[in-house]
Amino acid sequence: MSTVKTIADVEFGGELPSFKPDTSIDATRRFGKYVGWDSPRFTDHEGARKEGLPGAIVPGVMSQGFLGAMIHRWAPDAEIVAIDTIFRAPVLVDQPHSITGVVTDVDEDASTVEIDITVTNEAGETRVFGTATAKLPNG
Amino acid sequence: MILDLHTHSIKSDDGRAKVRNYCQWIRTRGIPIDGFVLTEHRQFDFDSDYSELARKHELVILKGAEVETEYGHVLVFGVTEGLYECFDFTRIGLRLEEVIEHCNAHNAIAAPCHPGRPRVGMSAHLEEHGVPKGVRIVEIHNGGSRADEDAVAAAMAEELGYLGIGGSDSHIVSHIGRCATEFPFPVHTEAELVEALRAEQFRAIPRAS
Repeated sequence: MSTVKTIADVEFGGELPSFKPDTSIDATRRFGKYVGWDSPRFTDHEGARKEGLPGAIVPGVMSQGFLGAMIHRWAPDAEIVAIDTIFRAPVLVDQPHSITGVVTDVDEDASTVEIDITVTNEAGETRVFGTATAKLPNG
Repeated sequence: MILDLHTHSIKSDDGRAKVRNYCQWIRTRGIPIDGFVLTEHRQFDFDSDYSELARKHELVILKGAEVETEYGHVLVFGVTEGLYECFDFTRIGLRLEEVIEHCNAHNAIAAPCHPGRPRVGMSAHLEEHGVPKGVRIVEIHNGGSRADEDAVAAAMAEELGYLGIGGSDSHIVSHIGRCATEFPFPVHTEAELVEALRAEQFRAIPRAS
């Protein structure tokens, strides 16, 4: 996997290594346990259906964690300044999803990059999108 | 000529794309469109001037709006100051037929977008409100569609005899051009866009699979 070290390594349009997050019910249960937030909507399909959802959903902050991890795998020394996500549809537990990222702005003076991030399901539907701003060391 | 007729920039509350980055992306990635229309939510952006960016990147950058009616969201092309004074673009729950009447009076066009989408699409409201008068064009390919939303839109358009356009509904840079509309002749201004839509010679381009 290719990583970047400094702002000089980044090009407009460069793609981050895509990532398939662990959206299993075990993962959301562990997450709920660690953060003290184990609502059935995240940890139990039947409980989520009783709330009117199609099944258990991945917590939004957990999805944001996946995004942050993807950025740090790509640029281990990056400081994530902001992650701004728009949740268009739930990320359903136990369904495969992919996360992609691509650099859509490079500010060499500020040593920051803007990254488009998209979470899609197997049907190719965008479930979550947004942008992240990361500060990288100067080259 | 191919235009993405439905895009949002940071001027929209949920838009995260800068217009200059859209231009860079289209040229860097070779996105097969000749330009795009910025259809910001519940407003018309009279202030921004993208002519220099358009020249630099040899792209057509036009402006429209996306307003909200009892039938869901509706794209408006050909907005003028006169039209802008006719109704409150910021209001949620505008009357679609009134929007269409005002558009017709000011040589603009209103086209319901993502009509197959639950809640914010036209098809979801037909049972309650009936078929609205005056609709001629709807968006049948939307880059943000999920499940069968585009199929529902296309079926509705066929049943009601509407023409179809396409647009990405992009809110971030990398989603621009996912769907578009092809015209058989050049379109360089908002007025020419209205003329081209009224000529009814266009083709909606779906998202590449």
